[in-house]
Amino acid sequence: MSSNVTPHHPTPPAWADRLLAWFCPPELREELLGDLHEQFDQQVAEFGEAKARRLYVWEVIRFCRPYFIERRMTATPRTSYEYPRPLPTNPVMIQNYLKIAWRNLIRHKTFSAINILGLVLGMASSLLILLWVQHERSIDHFHANGSRLYQVFENQQTTGNDLNTTMTTPQLMAPALVAEVPQVERSVHMTPGSRLLLTVGNQAYKEIGIYASTDLFQLFSFPLVQGNPKTALVGPASIVISETVARKLFGRTDVVGRSVRVGDNDDRQITGVVQDIPETASLKFDFVLPAAPYIRKTQPNPRWGRNGWRTFALLHPNTDVNALNAKLLNFVQRHDSTMTKFTTFLFPYQDIYLYSKFTNGQPDGGRIEYVRLFTIVAIFLLLIACINFMNLATARSAKRAREVGIRKVVGAGRSYLLSQFVGEAVLMALLSLLIAVVLVQVLLPLFNQLTEKHLVIQYGNPVYWAVLLSLALATGLIAGSYPALFLSSFQPVKVLKNTLQLTASAVIFRQGLVVFQFALSLLLIIGTLIVSQQMAYIRGKNLGINRENVIYMRVEGELAKHFEPFRQALLQAPGIQSVSSSDEDPLYIGNSTTGVEWRGKPDTDNTLFYQLPVSYDFIKTMKIGLVAGRDFSKAFPADSSNYIINEEAARRMGMRQPLGQELTNEGVPGTIVGLVKNFHLNSLRVAIEPLVIYLGPSNSTLLVRTQPGQTEQALASMERLAKQFNPAYPFAYTFADDNFERQYKSEMLVGQLTRYFAGIAIVIACLGLFGLALFMAEQRTKEIGVRKVLGASVSSIVALLSGSFLKLVLVAIGIASPIAWWVMHEWLQAFAYRIDIAWWMFALAGGLVIGIALLTVSFQSIKAALVNPVKSLRSE
Amino acid sequence: MDRAYLGEFEELVLLTAAVLEGTAYGVTIAAELKQRTSRTISLSGVHVALYRLEEKGFVRSELGGATAARGGRRKRLFTITAAGKRTLAEMRELRNELWDAMPNPSLS
Repeated sequence: MSSNVTPHHPTPPAWADRLLAWFCPPELREELLGDLHEQFDQQVAEFGEAKARRLYVWEVIRFCRPYFIERRMTATPRTSYEYPRPLPTNPVMIQNYLKIAWRNLIRHKTFSAINILGLVLGMASSLLILLWVQHERSIDHFHANGSRLYQVFENQQTTGNDLNTTMTTPQLMAPALVAEVPQVERSVHMTPGSRLLLTVGNQAYKEIGIYASTDLFQLFSFPLVQGNPKTALVGPASIVISETVARKLFGRTDVVGRSVRVGDNDDRQITGVVQDIPETASLKFDFVLPAAPYIRKTQPNPRWGRNGWRTFALLHPNTDVNALNAKLLNFVQRHDSTMTKFTTFLFPYQDIYLYSKFTNGQPDGGRIEYVRLFTIVAIFLLLIACINFMNLATARSAKRAREVGIRKVVGAGRSYLLSQFVGEAVLMALLSLLIAVVLVQVLLPLFNQLTEKHLVIQYGNPVYWAVLLSLALATGLIAGSYPALFLSSFQPVKVLKNTLQLTASAVIFRQGLVVFQFALSLLLIIGTLIVSQQMAYIRGKNLGINRENVIYMRVEGELAKHFEPFRQALLQAPGIQSVSSSDEDPLYIGNSTTGVEWRGKPDTDNTLFYQLPVSYDFIKTMKIGLVAGRDFSKAFPADSSNYIINEEAARRMGMRQPLGQELTNEGVPGTIVGLVKNFHLNSLRVAIEPLVIYLGPSNSTLLVRTQPGQTEQALASMERLAKQFNPAYPFAYTFADDNFERQYKSEMLVGQLTRYFAGIAIVIACLGLFGLALFMAEQRTKEIGVRKVLGASVSSIVALLSGSFLKLVLVAIGIASPIAWWVMHEWLQAFAYRIDIAWWMFALAGGLVIGIALLTVSFQSIKAALVNPVKSLRSE
Repeated sequence: MDRAYLGEFEELVLLTAAVLEGTAYGVTIAAELKQRTSRTISLSGVHVALYRLEEKGFVRSELGGATAARGGRRKRLFTITAAGKRTLAEMRELRNELWDAMPNPSLS
């Protein structure tokens, strides 16, 4: 046809042709394409090129009929003019690959089970970790104003010229920020939560409450289901409660206007009901009270040196925070010229949960370190499982060498084999993923109990599926890559002549993998050992204050009014040794002030003193070591303005003989009557700070020391007397011990989790070793037979077989130990009081790994060595 | 039924193949049917029908000469077999009998 040679001859879309070629039976390709093109030419003449192309595509799509696809699958070439040369993506080839993969899976049940079990364990643990990590990272990220929310932090210069960072600020901060800093849109301050009694009629519950300023609900996304978020905290007698509290007290949530009693006599009217605070919020409260009336009542004369409030700021959009921080640096000093050692800065609210650990004023990690640590552990576990897969697949390559040879002879290229083996690995990974998801679902309740969270797999969330699938895909690709490269490199001639010899480099690579695997396991085991040692050290450390046999109870209601009679009654009761009280947990003192004066104090001195109001017998009850002087006692009426200080305070004030010296604490002058040994005021992560102890008018926490072994009687006495003195309140108590441990909750959790995951790592690694040993014994059946015939003993054969593996484990120990030492050394730096890393920890971990590896391998070795050589040599 | 079943479309294709004796292949059959029935006829439908007819033994095929219009590709030409002709005749007969048996044949 003449149109054929014209330069503008229209052609149908090439991709449509390719599509047709892909799914239509190859033997029909020529005639179908011919007919299609002929019709296309006619249609170009009839309708024009554009429409003809559209019609062409539509026609091709209509060729995707079951008839052609079925015919292609069954692949019965009717004519022999063209031998089909299918691509690996050809449905027929895929069918064949699947069939072969399935047969291999079924024929080698032990190996398949080892492989899949390893992958399942690795995947299930990493899935659990990923769920946890995802939850940790989502905390505080739900606030609509999230990116503009900041919290105010203060840096205080210590005597050593270090910077100490605190998140409590003066109550003057928030109003001053709004008034003076144009970039600040709103600012809110609040107190830390404390448990208070809420009473309605005869219903009474203790709930966590905070005092917060009016804009709370406009800054944070805590939606109100009832009430107006703008005005809910305006009225002086208002209260906003959570839905759960509303249901507990009233059985319903539409309770705006009803009244609630807070504590003993503080009657309030509900102005709002807030949705329950989500689990992903770091700020937790059950009810909110307005801050302004509370400040007027309790702190009428505020000072810039008195901290106690958390301050939050909402910045205008597009504010340059770094520039603003530079301006805010001396914010406190501008208001109070004596506060020369205090600087202020804003820190993004969303980052506080994970990143708010400060060293010398600079952000220095925080919880994020654990998140990172566990992400690494998850990767380790998956890697170990992948290595198992690689190792077993290459070790067993001889078994599949013939298949590779035949495939190559009949025309399979290297890329065909590569995609076949990688595909197989991906399939295995998908299968394992399926089992792993089921396993995770089963284990989640336990894991949630451990982590105290409510993690769920969100099956409806496409992101989860994407992550799961990419996890399987990545695992399959990593695990399948080396075996695929290795297997596809076989030369058919050698393979089919049965002269296949594994090259030295392949063997070394495999051994390298085993070493790597065990090094990772060892790292985890040593890490676990050191973490648990440090935790044990903290538990057992002599804090200078005795927390055993001490029970805490809140002083509230009638108890506060009749404290001394109640104390006396307790002292008479059975099981109780000594009774005192303090205004804070003496193991975790938070209140501090710069308002301590003494003779000769330099003007520039801004030392922060921790403060602890107590009652009589405090030193005796908490068994704190007394260096000089005495405890507070009823016998000395002047004690109400006397002080007890710790050694650190004496050192900072430069007092050699502190007893009898004058000291003024926040404007109250008095005399030092006691000097106590330094005890830990706070977490062991920080050093001991100066402390001033004084008699407080009414303290929040009752401290009861029980007779050793008589806790039951003491509790019974306390309950009886508490009911008698304070019938309106439910009896509640905590043990000082438990309180103490709670401070180290995240470390304890890390310890526990690493223990489990290290266990899983070693199990997976040993699964791999077991498989390798099994295979090795199988391979060397003949050799063992010959050796036995020539007189080798069982023990010498076991030693021979196990020795080669032991060497690898020893190399792994050599590699892992220095890395583990370095990593754990870094981790321990976070503690001011810590253990030393000792050689025995490495020896123990190494011994453990050698022992387990030996057990795994020797089982196979012994089995192989015991076989009668007649049997193994006859089977030619 | 002792012979293979023929669908309505298959019957039309078989008849058309008989009409276009010697020049019957996908495109011509589709064009002929399109013209006569004024239905939309898809090439793929015609091909499937032809291959089915061949499997049932009603047509046989051979690859014919290539033309430039088809990009040099050969076409598969279909010829009706004796069995095909017999089946068509049987079907026609059956219909005639049914028409004759109708009490009032004028269906106006």
